Amino acid sequence: QRVNLSGVMGAHLVRRYVTEPDTEPDPARKYEFDPQFGFPERKEREMVASQEQMNLAQLPLEQRDYCAQYLLKLMKCKRDNWPNFLACKHERHDWDYCEHQDYVMRMKEYERERRLQLRKKRIEAQAEAA
Amino acid sequence: MTSTSLTMASSLIIIFTLLSYPVLTTLAPKPRRPDWALSHAKTAVKLAFFISLLPLFLFLNEGAETIVTSWSWMNTGTFDINISLKFDHYSTIFTPIALYVTWSILEFASWYMHSDPHMNRFFKYLLIFLIAMIVLVTANNMFQLFIGWEGVGIMSFLLIGWWHGRADANTAALQAVVYNRVGDIGLILAMAWMAMNLNSWEMQQMFAASKNLDLTLPLLGLILAATGKSAQFGLHPWLPSAMEGPTPVSALLHSSTMVVAGIFLLIRMSPLLETNPAALTICLCLGALTTLFTATCALTQNDIKKIVAFSTSSQLGLMMVTIGLNQPQLAFLHICTHAFFKAMLFLCSGSIIHSLNDEQDIRKMGGMHHLTPFTSSCLTIGSLALTGTPFLAGFFSKDAIIEALNTSHLNAWALTMTLIATSFTAIYSLRVIFFVSMGFPRFNPLSPINENNPTVINPIKRLAWGSIIAGLLITSNISPLKTPVMTMPPLLKLAALIVTISGLLIALELASLTSMQYKPTPRLTPHHFSNMLGFFPTLIHRLTPKLNLALGQMIASQTIDQTWLEKTGPKATFSSNLPLITTTSNAQQGFIKTYLTLFLMSLIIAALAFID
Repeated sequence: QRVNLSGVMGAHLVRRYVTEPDTEPDPARKYEFDPQFGFPERKEREMVASQEQMNLAQLPLEQRDYCAQYLLKLMKCKRDNWPNFLACKHERHDWDYCEHQDYVMRMKEYERERRLQLRKKRIEAQAEAA
Repeated sequence: MTSTSLTMASSLIIIFTLLSYPVLTTLAPKPRRPDWALSHAKTAVKLAFFISLLPLFLFLNEGAETIVTSWSWMNTGTFDINISLKFDHYSTIFTPIALYVTWSILEFASWYMHSDPHMNRFFKYLLIFLIAMIVLVTANNMFQLFIGWEGVGIMSFLLIGWWHGRADANTAALQAVVYNRVGDIGLILAMAWMAMNLNSWEMQQMFAASKNLDLTLPLLGLILAATGKSAQFGLHPWLPSAMEGPTPVSALLHSSTMVVAGIFLLIRMSPLLETNPAALTICLCLGALTTLFTATCALTQNDIKKIVAFSTSSQLGLMMVTIGLNQPQLAFLHICTHAFFKAMLFLCSGSIIHSLNDEQDIRKMGGMHHLTPFTSSCLTIGSLALTGTPFLAGFFSKDAIIEALNTSHLNAWALTMTLIATSFTAIYSLRVIFFVSMGFPRFNPLSPINENNPTVINPIKRLAWGSIIAGLLITSNISPLKTPVMTMPPLLKLAALIVTISGLLIALELASLTSMQYKPTPRLTPHHFSNMLGFFPTLIHRLTPKLNLALGQMIASQTIDQTWLEKTGPKATFSSNLPLITTTSNAQQGFIKTYLTLFLMSLIIAALAFID
């Protein structure tokens, strides 16, 4: 009789506040499980754009993320191609795609944390039943 | 000084000179030429616009932002007030847009006000307003901003009350001044706090010195200032009342430039705002409430200018929502695109009003699409841009705002309010077009309809071009300072469009009901709420002054007199002495027994005192 909420928009909110409030992770807080848990080898992400490059471009703090190299290329393209403001579509797409992949990565991390929490709950329930 | 900053500063000084020259020459006793308004005032603004393009192109080409501090004005040992001009991204883009819109409005005003005997004075007031606005926008310190702020407030008062023989116009002007004054309390509070705690009114010093301080109080002051100037809920009634002024005034002040001054202040202070989540939430909720409330009020108004005024107020609420989302650049983008299409909506309304012999009630218009095709087409273009039709000017700003709203981790109530207000925008825009352009004329056939006048057509045409391409131009040339979130489910992405189209369909359905026989029993309560502007003016405009004046009267005439007379003065002496007097005279009744008792008691007390 469980309602299948997967694929419904706002499902995470229903889970968080109504159906599974104790296992749903809070994105504002740090996640409980170790990033390496369950993976044979996992490297930490590395910034491609260096700090001097970002400093020279005077990037605001929020834009200094893992996609900053594409943003720097975009800024350079725009500066070089002005007044042709229609020019830098490819660089803009690269930056947008990198940010999109970053967003998808964050969604996957959230889902991983949620499933690990559910697994933890199942294990605890089994231990109690035994 | 590098050549870029020198060029930018010189351009602005030339602009100020160009704009002040027509104003100052009117101080001479010789009367002006009959076409002074067109030949001097409008030409000055047109030239100023082209000159202001120079800093804009320098900024776009080089990304150059400069701050020019030119004149030490009042300097003490620790506190400096200088004339300081800031050419950053916001002022460099806003100044050409303001000048372009003003150029078009001045050209239109030379037709609209041509029968006015004091047209030259009108143009002079508009020029003074423009100078004050540019002072506000290029200010790098709070003092200069305050000069511009008060300047635009005063010119708004003078221009709203232009037809000062009309009592309603005077009331509206006074309303504008009083509501703005309440907002100014907030601004002065913020300025005083900053002078005391940050020891400076220069923006750079303020941002640097405020890193770890709790800024809630000055931010609340700034939000109050923005509420007053930008007609947010609570201090909003002056904006629809300001439609008593001539249409060029409404187009310039109360749609494009003056009312955005409050939002502009918050954009300037955004480095302070972004550290304080409480202030951001206040902005968000206030903006959401404003945009929904004023959109609701716009649904049932019958005066075309009032509908556009409430539309302006609704868009200002949307800008406040954007600031609450911590996206000042998007709010600024909406200011720029909104200036074009809202000014054009006002100019089209003005053209229609004059064509119908000063008829402003949309129930008495109709069929204008056949009679003034150009004007009604531009009305349609402006309304489409306002509702956020894809790829017109409004789309780039409005859709970006709603996407940012949908993808942010915040208040769902504010989100719902804003989406409902977006659909209401479509509804009242369609209502205007349905009543004005479509159908058959509901006015007398003898109307001085003639839109075939280049003084009317050219400004509207220029603003129409702006409404179409400004969004694309600005977003393509400016790099975003905050990364936009582009990943969202399709429903969220299309939310603004779906809400607008559903509003449009509802409005079409409602409009078609007017020609059917089926008349359901009307539910009057929502209509009354909307038509009477939520009863806000009805309740507040009489009640608050009455309570305050009654309190003042009570204090002045009764409380003070009562205090000095009865509590501390002669009557107090009387009332404190009376018990003593009563007791004493009650004791001395003439009874020998009382006297004997008293004599014996004092004897005993004296004896006891002497024994010990």
